[in-house]
Amino acid sequence: MAKIIVNATHKGGEGKTTNSIMLAEYVALILGLKTLVIDMDPQANFSGRYIPMEYDPANKGGKIPSLHPDYDANEDHTWDGRSSIGNIFYGQEVIPYPTLIPNLELLPAHSSKLQDAEAVTKSEVLEKVHLQLKRFLELPDVQNEYQIIIIDTPPSKGPLTIAAIKAASHIVIPSQMEQFSIEGIYGMLQLWKQESYSRSKNNPISLVGILPNQVRDIKLHKQFLSGLSKMNSVGDYVMPHLIKKRAIYTEILVEDANPKSIFELPKGNVARQEYESACSFIMEKVLNG
Amino acid sequence: MAKKKVFNIGNALSSGLEETISAAHNYSGELRVDIIPIKKIEVDPENPRDFLINIDELYKGISTSDPNFSRKTQEKESLETLAHSIKEQGILNPIIVYKHAEKYRLIAGERRTLASIIAGFNDIQAKILDVKPSSLKISVLQWIENVERSDLTLWERLRNLEKIVSVYANSKGTTLDQVTITELSNLIGCTKPHAINYKAVLISDQEIKNLIHENKIKSLEKAALLSNIKSLDIRKNAIDACLNGAQLKKLKMIAELGLEKNQLGKIKSIEKRGRQLSAVNFGGTKNVNVARLIVDSVLSHNLLSHISDYFKDIDWNDYKSITDTFKQLVKKLEELHVK
Repeated sequence: MAKIIVNATHKGGEGKTTNSIMLAEYVALILGLKTLVIDMDPQANFSGRYIPMEYDPANKGGKIPSLHPDYDANEDHTWDGRSSIGNIFYGQEVIPYPTLIPNLELLPAHSSKLQDAEAVTKSEVLEKVHLQLKRFLELPDVQNEYQIIIIDTPPSKGPLTIAAIKAASHIVIPSQMEQFSIEGIYGMLQLWKQESYSRSKNNPISLVGILPNQVRDIKLHKQFLSGLSKMNSVGDYVMPHLIKKRAIYTEILVEDANPKSIFELPKGNVARQEYESACSFIMEKVLNG
Repeated sequence: MAKKKVFNIGNALSSGLEETISAAHNYSGELRVDIIPIKKIEVDPENPRDFLINIDELYKGISTSDPNFSRKTQEKESLETLAHSIKEQGILNPIIVYKHAEKYRLIAGERRTLASIIAGFNDIQAKILDVKPSSLKISVLQWIENVERSDLTLWERLRNLEKIVSVYANSKGTTLDQVTITELSNLIGCTKPHAINYKAVLISDQEIKNLIHENKIKSLEKAALLSNIKSLDIRKNAIDACLNGAQLKKLKMIAELGLEKNQLGKIKSIEKRGRQLSAVNFGGTKNVNVARLIVDSVLSHNLLSHISDYFKDIDWNDYKSITDTFKQLVKKLEELHVK
C-alpha cells in the first residue's frame, strides 16, 4: 500500500505548502521513491511550484492547470487537455503531470472545481466529497504507480481537508510556536481523533507529529515549544526537529531560484541539513512505523 | 527590575490537547462511528426480531393484501413517537451494525432505524464493527443496548440475560447456576450487588419466574429478595404481601422476621459500639433500699465481717454518701482479692 501523508492545519501560514514541497522533494530526490503530490488547496500555490498555472477566465482570481504535455489536440477529442484533482469530484478522468524533479508527479489544483467541492451542502458532503479522494487513491492504478503520496490541504476544516484526512495514512501538523497556531493544532487533533475512532485496526491513521515551524530565537517561541514538549501525551508528538525561520525557505520558492530545491544545496548547508533531518524523521516514521 | 516575561500555553488549551491525544490513543479503531445510508442496512437473519414490519415496507408502504397488515400498521404507529423525537433531536445513541459484504447488518437499533425512516432520514449514525461478533458478544451488545430501555419488562430482560448466561456457561463447559457473581457482573457490565440480584432470580424456582412472566413482579430487587427466602411459609407471606403492593422495605422486614423465628432460642450477640469495656460497671439506682440491701448483704458475709466497721456511718439519705460508700466497698474488696 502506498503511504499517504497529509500536511494539515486549518490555520493559514503555518507552512503546510512549504512543508509539503520539502517533504515531496526529499522523498523523490533523496529517497528516490515514486511520489505523487496532490494539491487540494484552491489557492493552487503548491501546483504552481511544479507546473505553470493559468488564470481561470471563467473564475476571476482562480487558477487552472496549463495544458498537459501529453495532450494532442488532433488526437484527444474528448479531453480538453487539462487535468486536476478537482476532476475526481466530477467523475472525470485524472492524469498526473510530470515535473522537472525525477520520481515526482503532480495532480494540480483547479480553483473553481475545488471551491465547489468545498462548498457542497451537508447532505451531499458524505458521498460526494468526503470519501472521493480515498476511493480514488485506493484504485489499483494509483496504488501500483506510487510509493508515497503527499497531499497539501487548504487552511480550513472543510470537506477538502476532511477528504484528505479520510484518505491519509499519516498526518503531519506543521505549526508555529504561537498562541493562535497552537489553538490550530487543537482543532486539527480533533479531526485526527474523530478519524482515528472510525478507522479499523488494520488501516489506522497515524499522527507523525507536530513540526515546530518558523521558529525564531525569541522567548515566546522557546517557552511555547518547551511547554508543548512537556505536556502529557502531547510531548510524545512534538517532533525532535524544528524548522527555523530562514529567508532561504521562501527564496527557494521564487520562479527563477537557483538551485530550485533545498536538496540541491551543498550537503553541509545549514538549511538543507535542518529540513533533511526533519524529513528523515517523518519518513522513518512513515516507512517503518 | 521589571518582572521577567513568561509565556505559558493556557491551561484550557493544554488540557484540551492532552485529553484529545489520550482519547485518540485509547479508543482508536474501537469507536468506529460513521453515518451510513439506511438503505444499506439489513436485519440479521440469525437474530430474532421484535418487529414484523421491515425497512422496505416503511419506504414503499405496507401492502393492504398483507395478512399482517393490521399488526404492521400498529407497529408503524408505535414508532411515531420515537420518529418525532428523532426528527427533533436526532438519535442519541448510534445503532450498532457489522459489515456484511456491501451491506450492514443490525446488531442493535432496529427501532431507531425504522423510526429514522419514518422521520424522513436517508442515513443514520452507526457504530460499525468490521466482522460479525460471536453470538455471545452480540447478545451482550444487545443487552447493553436494551438495559436502559424503560419499556422492557423484567421478564424480557431476564430472558435476554438467560440467553447470554447460557451461551457463556456453554462456552465454559459449565451450567447456568455455576456462573459466579463476578463472571456475571463482568459479562454484562453491572455492579456486583446488581449481579447478585440477577443471579438469585435466574436460579429461582418456577413459581417466582411465573409471577415475573405474568408481570406481577416488576422489580428485580423484590424478585431477588423473594427468591432468597428459604422457608416456604415465610415466602408465601412475602409473595402475598408483594402482590398486594408491599414496598421493598416491608418485604425485607417480613423476610427478616422469618429469619428471627427460625433462630429462636439462640442468644443474638449484642452489637457492640464504641470502646470495649475494661472494667465492670455496677450501674446505678435511685432506690436507696436496693443500695442498702446490697451493702448489708455484702457486709453480712462471714469472711467480710472484719471490714463492717468501716461502713458504720453511712448517711442513707444522701446519694453522694451512699455512692462514696460503694466506691470504698469495692476498693476494700479489691484489696482483699488481689491476684
